[in-house]
Amino acid sequence: MKFLTQLAQLPPEYNPFWAKEPGNDALLWIFLTIGVGIVGMLLLTRVPTRARRPIVWTFTFLSGAFYVIYYLWPMPIDRDAREIPQGFVEQGGFFMKDALPRVADIANVLTFLLLCLGIFSLTKIHSARVVKKQKDWFFSVVLLVAMVVMVIVGYWDYILKEFNDPNALLTKAENWGTVNYAYDLLFDGLIQQMDAAMFSMIAFFILSAAFRAFRIRSVEATVMMASAILLMISLMGAVDYQWSELIKGWTGDDPAHMLNNLNLSQISGWVKNYLQIPSIRALEFGVGLGALAMGLRIWLGLERGGVSV
Amino acid sequence: MQYLDTGKYHVLFTLLLVFFILFNIRRAKGKKDMFVRRIPGLNAIDDAIGRATEMGRPVLMVPGIGELNAISVQALNIFAQVTKTAAQFGTPIRLCCANAAVFAVAQETIRDVYQAQGQIERYDVDSVRFISERQFAFAAGVSGMIHREQCAATFFLGEFFAESLIFAETANAVGAIQIAGSTQTVQTPFFIAACDYVLIGDEFYAASAFLTREPVLVGSLIGQDWAKFVVVFMIFCGFITNSMERHQVTDMKRVDNDATADVEAFSEMVPVEPWANGKPVLKRRADTWLFRQFNPFITKEQVTVDRPLEPEPEPTTATGGGS
Amino acid sequence: MSTPEKSFWDKAQTLDRRVLYAVLIVLTATSLFFKTEIPVNPDDSSKDLYVSLMTIDPSKTVLIESDWTNSTRGESAGHFEALMRILMFRKVKFVVYSIADAQAPQVARDALMRIQEERKGQGLKEYEPWVDYLDIGYFPNAEGHLQAVGNNIRTAWGGRKERDDTGKERGIFESPVLSNVRVVGDAGLVVVVSASATIDIAVERLYGKVPLAFMVTGVMGPNALPYYQAGQIVGIGVGLKGVYDVEYMMKYGVNYRPDGATKAKVLYKEDSVVVAPVTEGTTMDRGARYFLPLHVALTLMILAIIFGNVAMFASRRKKKEAK
Repeated sequence: MKFLTQLAQLPPEYNPFWAKEPGNDALLWIFLTIGVGIVGMLLLTRVPTRARRPIVWTFTFLSGAFYVIYYLWPMPIDRDAREIPQGFVEQGGFFMKDALPRVADIANVLTFLLLCLGIFSLTKIHSARVVKKQKDWFFSVVLLVAMVVMVIVGYWDYILKEFNDPNALLTKAENWGTVNYAYDLLFDGLIQQMDAAMFSMIAFFILSAAFRAFRIRSVEATVMMASAILLMISLMGAVDYQWSELIKGWTGDDPAHMLNNLNLSQISGWVKNYLQIPSIRALEFGVGLGALAMGLRIWLGLERGGVSV
Repeated sequence: MQYLDTGKYHVLFTLLLVFFILFNIRRAKGKKDMFVRRIPGLNAIDDAIGRATEMGRPVLMVPGIGELNAISVQALNIFAQVTKTAAQFGTPIRLCCANAAVFAVAQETIRDVYQAQGQIERYDVDSVRFISERQFAFAAGVSGMIHREQCAATFFLGEFFAESLIFAETANAVGAIQIAGSTQTVQTPFFIAACDYVLIGDEFYAASAFLTREPVLVGSLIGQDWAKFVVVFMIFCGFITNSMERHQVTDMKRVDNDATADVEAFSEMVPVEPWANGKPVLKRRADTWLFRQFNPFITKEQVTVDRPLEPEPEPTTATGGGS
Repeated sequence: MSTPEKSFWDKAQTLDRRVLYAVLIVLTATSLFFKTEIPVNPDDSSKDLYVSLMTIDPSKTVLIESDWTNSTRGESAGHFEALMRILMFRKVKFVVYSIADAQAPQVARDALMRIQEERKGQGLKEYEPWVDYLDIGYFPNAEGHLQAVGNNIRTAWGGRKERDDTGKERGIFESPVLSNVRVVGDAGLVVVVSASATIDIAVERLYGKVPLAFMVTGVMGPNALPYYQAGQIVGIGVGLKGVYDVEYMMKYGVNYRPDGATKAKVLYKEDSVVVAPVTEGTTMDRGARYFLPLHVALTLMILAIIFGNVAMFASRRKKKEAK
């Protein structure tokens, strides 16, 4: 009731629900929200398959509508927190502007809930594999142990640094305890390095893919190979510089000489500016329009491809 | 928009594009057998699944590593069509997700496909998997799966980044047929170098229209083509006006004032000598009419709005972005 | 029927990828031991980036969006460290935040600490947290967050607290670093050090509100260059070449002629712009160390491509002769 009263108070006085500080009744709101959430989820599991589509569409439409209105509604560029909006348009603008961070928060909370779902699935699949001793079950053990250890050590370290360290001593390594060292080992010593190792594999894959793909088999493949080699050479500063020095020798360092066009940076710059960038821009236009059309179809419930075939 | 939005054209342009798409969807309703040009990568879907069936190996699908958005939903739409064929043949599938929200939608989508095909007993809950939200942990997980399960056909469609080449080369090493496409245009060259078929740019969005020939999708595609004509026309107009203006000798130059100084406008035109040192002073990009359309002069008066203040100052709200 | 025996050229065409990998790892790893100064002609985009960084008003705060992790440290760490050195040399206050990856803040923090240690060793002034810089960590939901920053930075970052110079937790806008920033436009520049598509989001959400500059990986370069060409960003360093370009200009300046020199090492499009080199601390570091391995790797790739083609033609010729 209080929520409705607060909403009802909006016009003409500007007192948005979004801008409220969590007061003494914060706990009440938290429990109320969790309660409504649980009841809502239970009700949703009872919904017949036929009714799923309209429910999904309603929520999609409402969430999309917020951003569409936000995009179209006039907004103040800058304002003081104490300023009172004048008139309906300003009130709407202020309201939307205050609501935006909250809507972003809702999206974050939903993402977290869905992440729980993902972790549940991961745990389920790998636990089953371990229990049934399926092929390569040992890797599943490694995954489960790594996941549990990282979560425990990560949170433990976070709690120590965030809540038990008023003088910020733990920002320096010499004050660390076992947990902080364990976290450092897992994060900096393992995850970061393994990430870097995976990424550096691309260097090898680029080499083998280029060796296989860049063959003079057709006109297109030849053009692709020639431009790739040209750009690679222009990335080699030493070659580019020496070549430009050679050209300077021919031209007598005259900036208006026609031979300057033979500079590698000039040629590769021309390829980039007049061939590569326009092509990328054209592709981006196509992709952008495709995304707009797709978004529009999803928002208006016209998309029937995936969710029900 | 803002009170002083410096570009009203983008709203007008967006609304025009929206109109084109909706108008063509409406126009296309009821029409059948509309023409969509051939997309080789999509023609190869049946061959790829047929090959996997013969070899008794799974088909792998990855909808990119992006969040749940138009791109991943489109990827799932294409995968729904792939799964439809795989369900008919009884070919095992694997769908790996790097985002939990995409995973939730993918699970529903794939189950619906099996149900609609009357093959729900063939649906394996574990065929749709969440691997990791970490980019390279995901890359390692999927590459491992490609190797262990010797996937015969792989579909990499969606938002791919640096992991694109890791997937493509790994799949190439096990001899899989690969159909790929990334909305990240910079990743397309990697796919072209390593995959058998590649969907380039917006072919990715045209895929479901091509596969289903549904009037709504084909209509939307035609709307997109109309929009492209508008883009081409505007580029042409921009090219003409800019080329003409940039070769004019000018006696006025745009300057941006210091916003904190006591000035009337943030930018203004000031006179300059048209011929300096015997050379003509040509208009710069910022001096042109076209630039002014998107970057108008803003006066101090325009940005000063007097509003009454609340009597009691409240402490500022702590919000946004998490902490 | 027996299959005809494969000739040397046939085998060379399908050379085992492990051989290529072994050659690559040996050559690049060896070249890493040599830190060399190679003369270059810096790219125009790198020159614009350097000039923007060196001419920014030191009273204005720079916002650094650090969206890279250790996976791309070969390129991004060099960018980030060069940026730190320039800003510290020019005594510009800065804020570091991340939106792409939860690991990014820690990696940026480590790089920042390295530079601090280095400056300490060189007897230079260390930057003090809270007073000279703020490290405000990770914000999830990249798109939503940058939209919120463009909308109202005070609300978007309002929830963040940091320890002040006395160890007390206070809201970040009370810090001398951010006290002068009311809207995002009050910042002097937003520099995005990125290995991901957050550059697109930065242009979408912040362009027009505050000047933008990018330092991106080689792969993301083509994605970012259209923004530079369109004038939406003031400068951009691309990949390892970008790192080396900036370091080279840190050493030699732009249009800068030291006493007695007849010509500047690095020329700029505008003769009137003269930017001095960075005269304290390290200038050539990571870029100089990795530039030679880049040369080696690219040479190897070019040779591999040539070898593959020679093998293909030789093999074809052999087959023709055999017929």
